[in-house]
Amino acid sequence: MTAGYAPARSGLRPLLSLGIAIVVVLLAYLAFTVPGNWFPSSSVKQWGVPDFTLPRGSGGAVNNEFIVAGTDASGQAYVAVTTDVRARDYAAITWNAHDVPADVDVHFLWRTDYAPRKIFSIPVTVEAGRLLPVVLANDAGWLGHVTGIGLAIRGTLSQPFALTGVVAKPSGAFGILQDRAREWLGFERWKGTSINTIVGGDDVQSLPLPALLAMSIALAAAAMLLWRRFRPATGMARVAAAIAIMFVAAWFVLDARWTWNLARQMQETIAQYGGKDWRGKHLAAEDGALFEFVEKARAELPATPARVFIASEADYFRERAAFHLYPHNVYAEPRSNALPPSERLKAGDWMLVYQRRGVQFDPSAGKLRWDGGAPVSAQLKLRGEGAALFLIQ
Amino acid sequence: MDLIGLLLGLVLVWAFGIACLAAMPRRAARAEEPGGIAWLVGAGGLAGLFLATLWLRALSFAGIHFGVVAIALPLLVATLALGGWAVRRGRRSTQVSVREPLRDSLFRMLAELSGRSQSGAARTLWRLLLAWLVLRAALLFTEVVTHPLYPWDAWTQWATKARVWYELGRIVPFERADAWFAAGGTAYFDAGPHYPGTVGLMQVLAGNFLGRWDDTLMNLPFWMLAVAFAFAVYGALRALEFPALWALAGTWLVSSLPLANTHVALAGYADLPLAIYFCAAILACTRWLETREPADAALALLLLAACPLLKIPGRIWALLAVPALIVGLLPRVGSRVVAGGYAAALFGLLLLAQTSPVIMGYHLHLEFAPDWKALANSFFLYDNWHLLWYGAIAVALLGRRQLLTLQAAPLTAVIAGGVIFVAVVLLFTNARDWLSDQSTVNRATLHLAPLVVIWMLVVFRAWAQALQVATPTEEAIEPIEDSPHERTLPQI
Repeated sequence: MTAGYAPARSGLRPLLSLGIAIVVVLLAYLAFTVPGNWFPSSSVKQWGVPDFTLPRGSGGAVNNEFIVAGTDASGQAYVAVTTDVRARDYAAITWNAHDVPADVDVHFLWRTDYAPRKIFSIPVTVEAGRLLPVVLANDAGWLGHVTGIGLAIRGTLSQPFALTGVVAKPSGAFGILQDRAREWLGFERWKGTSINTIVGGDDVQSLPLPALLAMSIALAAAAMLLWRRFRPATGMARVAAAIAIMFVAAWFVLDARWTWNLARQMQETIAQYGGKDWRGKHLAAEDGALFEFVEKARAELPATPARVFIASEADYFRERAAFHLYPHNVYAEPRSNALPPSERLKAGDWMLVYQRRGVQFDPSAGKLRWDGGAPVSAQLKLRGEGAALFLIQ
Repeated sequence: MDLIGLLLGLVLVWAFGIACLAAMPRRAARAEEPGGIAWLVGAGGLAGLFLATLWLRALSFAGIHFGVVAIALPLLVATLALGGWAVRRGRRSTQVSVREPLRDSLFRMLAELSGRSQSGAARTLWRLLLAWLVLRAALLFTEVVTHPLYPWDAWTQWATKARVWYELGRIVPFERADAWFAAGGTAYFDAGPHYPGTVGLMQVLAGNFLGRWDDTLMNLPFWMLAVAFAFAVYGALRALEFPALWALAGTWLVSSLPLANTHVALAGYADLPLAIYFCAAILACTRWLETREPADAALALLLLAACPLLKIPGRIWALLAVPALIVGLLPRVGSRVVAGGYAAALFGLLLLAQTSPVIMGYHLHLEFAPDWKALANSFFLYDNWHLLWYGAIAVALLGRRQLLTLQAAPLTAVIAGGVIFVAVVLLFTNARDWLSDQSTVNRATLHLAPLVVIWMLVVFRAWAQALQVATPTEEAIEPIEDSPHERTLPQI
């Protein structure tokens, strides 16, 4: 790197340059994104789950969330909220939602006292299971008093989704910056996809922090190079040192955010698993009920490893059951719900069934069959809720 | 109590690796080289853990049941013997008592760690950076010892083997479905039966030191790898003549990649170990190119051997040491030979792709339709890598004339090959589908990422040096005060 530089003396100027560049980039960003007044006087207005109604479709309030479970016979669902806000005070509406299917068609609806018989609508973009904010400041229908807002969902829902609230925002400069900061600092807890991707805050971000910092470094570096054209005495080596210092400082900003997230995750991990032994941790995990059943099944299984076939509709449960059952010689199809034909099983094999349709057992005849195949002789050794363990005979 | 057993076991493995490296004959004492002790400690940890898995393979081959005595006792004896041999040899070469070289090394290491060799603001920065690194290590340690095995593939295809081998006390084969049915109970089955077993053996090792199966604590070797790697990176950067503070900053850059941290916290995948062993192997190669010490060559070969035994793509990664060696050994024509080799390989793939072959499980094709949005998200908008790829591109552009300097050329050759490899896999095979859902793109890139950080530092420094040479009239810049030893080294 640029060894031989006194960091204290030559480090402050690049940091100042980076700070100024960040401000400039943010101002440019605001110039493009603030839809109306930069400094509005109105405050944020929000409505929660109790304010929601569902005139069409199926669903309702569950655990502080409003679940939209399905559309009606015509393939539509409406969520409605009664409001009383002045349109010109609020430039954007944000629906807080999660698990929205990507292929569903969502429109934002509103009604005003200006044209009470008319319902206005604008499409809402679905990204990463969320609904992106709807900017209405320049919409011709966003006039007068807004007396009601809603969502229209069209199409077949492949899964239910949840709404936790809706917020009307003036979307001034400070409000937008607050939103961005909230996105950057949003807690990103461990989830199944964490091993593949770290977003760095909220799943959906309008201005990702790495991009902001990179643009700021580029801007500051460009300004320094320009400055050098007029002041050739400023050597290129000094510019190189400044770029290095800005890069390291920006990296540190990102790293501080990441470390803060890691610390919050650690608190959550300790709250869920801290002080528990190996068994206790598994009982506290997402598949605790399955683990409990497998522990009972292990008590029924012989001490020496036996062949065990796993039947479950969900890949997750099939594979988790297998993992908990090793070192028994487990067979679980990794990527399909298919079970091997009955002739591939032999006496002394076992079958563990967990939440799977199509498996039938006739206790009087001692016959087990699955997926309409030929029955095999079997003994029911253990029974749980939606679960069973059979010994093939 | 059992956690102490596990920690002691891992310390033994680490010490075993250090003893192995220290015992290898060298012309120059490691303690005399900048970063020599840190490299010995870091590379020793990596070597020790890999050698211990080879020992498990040997035990299983010999029909000896895995157990703490069968594993730890020979390692302890070997550590004492090799360590004693190294100390004795050091005493012979320096004609002093056994204690002196040990004491000197220890003092030198502690002095460097404490930042006493730095002055003023540099010392403050050094201590803050060190504290920041320790904080991260502590957070990751807490996660590793608290969170049960979590990520999907970890319990469908990696730890499955660990569980079976630990419980049975030996390595038994895992087979695909048809072979499993045919085996009649003598083989096992999981979602990745053909995957290499080194990660599983690291977990078996931990299980044996722990004395019981625990799919949380068995992942502690991943944390150990990360810490050892940090030492190795620091030592390597010092050997590349980076001043201590910049070497520590480089270590922090490498250690702070969020996706790499995630692979420690949510341990269980082979990607991070592969990235660590690959990066350390290439650093060992470049070290050998510099020193031509047989000991460095042996270490490089050992670390390279770990790559294919960790994950199947490790075969390709290990092969990428060849371009580095060609460029390093033939400085005048090496880069042209390597460039020709890459062109020939790409042309060969182009011809092969006409027949849509399957290579290492990947279906090769020629349809170029990347998901640009997903690529941008992975490398530039999400925080998988902090600013790594912005920095790498900027450095490649700014330092384009320094890409083939003596120090940078071997690394550039490897990075170029790695980028071609990842690009071909992600753009011209069925892995392209995994771009859009972000399931593989970052993990595939993780294998190369730590080395990219080091390459970036080396090329940037070469660029900065070139600028300083080009503008000798620049106003005087105050140097960081370093230790007297450092003053003898060529400064930038």
